[in-house]
Amino acid sequence: MTKRRSPPVYLNLFRIRFPVGAVTSIGHRVSGVLLFLALPALLWLLDLSLRDAEGYRQAIALLQSTPLKLASVPLAWSVLHHLFSGIRFLLIDIDTGVQLKPARASAWLVNSAALAATLGYLVCVL
Amino acid sequence: MSYRVDGMRVWMMQRITALYLALYLVGVSGWFWLHPVTDYAGWRAWFSHPPAAIGSAGFLLALLIHGWVGLRDVILDYVHSLGLRLVVLTLVAFLLIGCGFWGARILILASGPA
Repeated sequence: MTKRRSPPVYLNLFRIRFPVGAVTSIGHRVSGVLLFLALPALLWLLDLSLRDAEGYRQAIALLQSTPLKLASVPLAWSVLHHLFSGIRFLLIDIDTGVQLKPARASAWLVNSAALAATLGYLVCVL
Repeated sequence: MSYRVDGMRVWMMQRITALYLALYLVGVSGWFWLHPVTDYAGWRAWFSHPPAAIGSAGFLLALLIHGWVGLRDVILDYVHSLGLRLVVLTLVAFLLIGCGFWGARILILASGPA
């Protein structure tokens, strides 16, 4: 019988210096957790909007209120970063851009495109 | 051996659901961009359209699977105590299953007549 290898355990995030790809990767995790946490609220909003005409009106009014607009900004970043970095990971899975140079370039691209698109969203929504 | 095969299947599942979620998100965003919804009737009508209803049901299912695998990976990496790990994994599972039933209810109700 062979012993199963144990997973790496040194994951103290404050003592690791991050290369750009690690930022993309951690961003993918953080955005994924944020989206998971937002799921009940999003379902509630969808439920309300589909209930009846009054519910729809209330949902629209809520979405146009300042607190929800502000809350939607980190959520917009989460969707964008998760989507962009997810596409990057899928491409790397099929051996596209695995070499250090293109991998670093695409990590930069993903990180900044997500931030730029979030900024665009912020400008549109406020 | 079975452990490794299982891990491979989960890994593949995460990629397949990712692809579906991405295509749905981009596709539906594009659709609403081209055909903006302006009132409740239009919003309801979209969800009662069979391709949209089925596609959204698939989205919900893919979201639950993708969320479970992703959260599980994150929890296994950062929560080391076995007891706490079990508690957190259970909470996540209950939340996802609850969201699944809730989402299914929303989609089923929305697919019928207003």
